[in-house]
Amino acid sequence: MFVKIDNEGDKYDVAVSGRIDTTNADQFQKDIAPLMECGKCDIVMDCTELEYTSSQGLRMFLMLQKSVNQRGGTLELRNMRPQVKEVFDITGFSSIIRIV
Amino acid sequence: MFKLRFEPIAGKSAEIIEKVMSSEDISSEPALEFKLRLCIEEVVENIVNYAYERGNGFMEVGTSREDGVLEIYFKDGGVEFNPLDAPDPDITLSADDRPIGGLGIFICKKLMDEMSYSYENGFNVLRMKKRVN
Repeated sequence: MFVKIDNEGDKYDVAVSGRIDTTNADQFQKDIAPLMECGKCDIVMDCTELEYTSSQGLRMFLMLQKSVNQRGGTLELRNMRPQVKEVFDITGFSSIIRIV
Repeated sequence: MFKLRFEPIAGKSAEIIEKVMSSEDISSEPALEFKLRLCIEEVVENIVNYAYERGNGFMEVGTSREDGVLEIYFKDGGVEFNPLDAPDPDITLSADDRPIGGLGIFICKKLMDEMSYSYENGFNVLRMKKRVN
């Protein structure tokens, strides 16, 4: 699992790759910490290379969305693979997190 | 029938998942493999983290395939607990109202064709079935 974050002012470009599972969910939480602390920022996260997420990863996405909402920012997930998208769909996350 | 027994299990989730995934009953077709791995991970995580009140215990996992149906069972000697009793999360809530967590078993219910639980001779046994061809 690898998270790459670039920002220009309040615009955050993020790419997440690999697998988020029981072995690295804690690391993922640490890696996305800057996104929890960026104030009213606009985050675009590219998920092209996100291969897998368990419920551990979903927790982090929900925490991030809650945090973004509180700050009046935005979060958008892009290019999600169909299998990963299905996990977001069946858990209702597709309707609370913007996925394009 | 492919059967594995693990003890101790504390901190061993990743290793247990990999060993179960090595069963020849587990489909290697990518879309199905993804779903099976996810459900196995969710159940293994629950048992490793919550089955035993203190100290350590064992987990047994078995897989079998018959008439195109894969069955996986998970057995532990922890406190009696039926994970299927938990109410499904309300997936219509807004992000602000959604509680964190409580999704693991729900994901399994959605992705598997059948889930069942029984308490047998002092052991928790959770079974999941999936049509694989």
